[in-house]
Amino acid sequence: MSKKQNKPIDPVIVIVLGILFISVAVLMVVFQPKGNSINITAGAGTMSQLVVAFITGITTGGLSCLAVQGGLLASSLAHQIEQDYAGQAGPKKSKQPAARTNSALPIGLFLLAKLVTYTLLGALLGWLGSYLTFSPMTRALLMLAIGLFMIGNALRMFNVHPIFRYFSVEPPKFITRYIRRTAKGTDTFTPLFLGALTVFIPCGVTQAMMATALGTGSVAMGAALMFAFTLGTSPVFFIIAYLTTELGAKLEKFFMRFVAVVVLILGVVTLDGGLNLMGSPISLQNLTRTWFAPQAATRPVADAASQPSANAGEVVLNVENNGYFPTVLKAPAGKDFTLSLVTDKTYSCARDFVIPALNYYELLPESGTVQVTIPAQQAGSTLFFTCSMGMYTGQIVFENQ
Amino acid sequence: MIKKTFKIPDMSCTNCAMKIEALEDDLEGVQEINASYHKLEMVIEYDESKLNEEQIIAAVKKKGYTALAQ
Repeated sequence: MSKKQNKPIDPVIVIVLGILFISVAVLMVVFQPKGNSINITAGAGTMSQLVVAFITGITTGGLSCLAVQGGLLASSLAHQIEQDYAGQAGPKKSKQPAARTNSALPIGLFLLAKLVTYTLLGALLGWLGSYLTFSPMTRALLMLAIGLFMIGNALRMFNVHPIFRYFSVEPPKFITRYIRRTAKGTDTFTPLFLGALTVFIPCGVTQAMMATALGTGSVAMGAALMFAFTLGTSPVFFIIAYLTTELGAKLEKFFMRFVAVVVLILGVVTLDGGLNLMGSPISLQNLTRTWFAPQAATRPVADAASQPSANAGEVVLNVENNGYFPTVLKAPAGKDFTLSLVTDKTYSCARDFVIPALNYYELLPESGTVQVTIPAQQAGSTLFFTCSMGMYTGQIVFENQ
Repeated sequence: MIKKTFKIPDMSCTNCAMKIEALEDDLEGVQEINASYHKLEMVIEYDESKLNEEQIIAAVKKKGYTALAQ
């Protein structure tokens, strides 16, 4: 820095900050609202989505972002280090080795700016998404697109075929050129500005998260999702960038495989959610249920008194925090019947009940019963139902009585 | 000025393209560099009197990549 020499920050502070971030992560998982226990897959809608975003950030996003955006920060820091060392090589040469420059502050500023900018981007994407989520079907299509994008990116990282390179978005040249030249600045404003500009060069995992923010269709949720994810990326980014950029380069190769595996899994889960939301029988959940139907059908029912009584013209489905029970319902073919959806302190996305084939969507009350008239169906046919995120599913099988 | 294309087979992300394009500022005689991760190549426009192919290949190598003249 050409400005006054800052006092170097003790590495202990860096480690404390890292521990602080991880503690926040643990607290977010443990103290979920409504007293839910640690159960990410069955988590309570909004909060579980944020926890997943944060964990994605802390596990893969940080390294992936470091691989893509770390170069900018490193070049900015390298210049600063160079200047600091030049400043120390004055006429009075100390016998002590030159002290490490204060790189914690610019990294911190860089990450702060990144956090703010990505949160704003999340809000923007959520707002844009609100115009796209007209129906569960639109949402399903978006999820399919997001899932394919993530899988494509994972296959790109595995270097499966050159075609998958096109799943990575190349920023326009004028933007990368501008960012690159700004990176050579030396004032304290530069890291802040650079952190904000990283929004134009998102890594693969970030792009996937941006697509998810778009899918939320909500300004607040989009912002919160990107905030949680970017906050999650920060500790890894901070610690590795602080310790040494060389370590980052070595880690990059090692962890890219790990990142690819995680992105692939997230992609498959998202794609499957999209298929569920479309009411497709070929989703993983529906296929496995068909294959193991007897087991699935024997899932516990919360209230034994409200067992399905299809013959009486009513079938009861318990909507719980961790899904629908029973997951396979049997109903008489050839006549209308009433499906009673029973909630009891249900806060998860299972409340957002969808029957894709009937184009039926209802946000159920936290506690209560909602009745739906299901029109007559042919014997042997199956009607799939799901939550609005495609996470929890079930089916109604129509039989001759 | 001359325009040449080099294959860069070891680019692994769009940031690699950006790193290679930074040679625009580092190498004397370069007019413009357009690197593409999608195509794994870079197109460089440079002044032959100030720079030659070997120097370009060496500069790319210094950045951590392999440049193959087309």
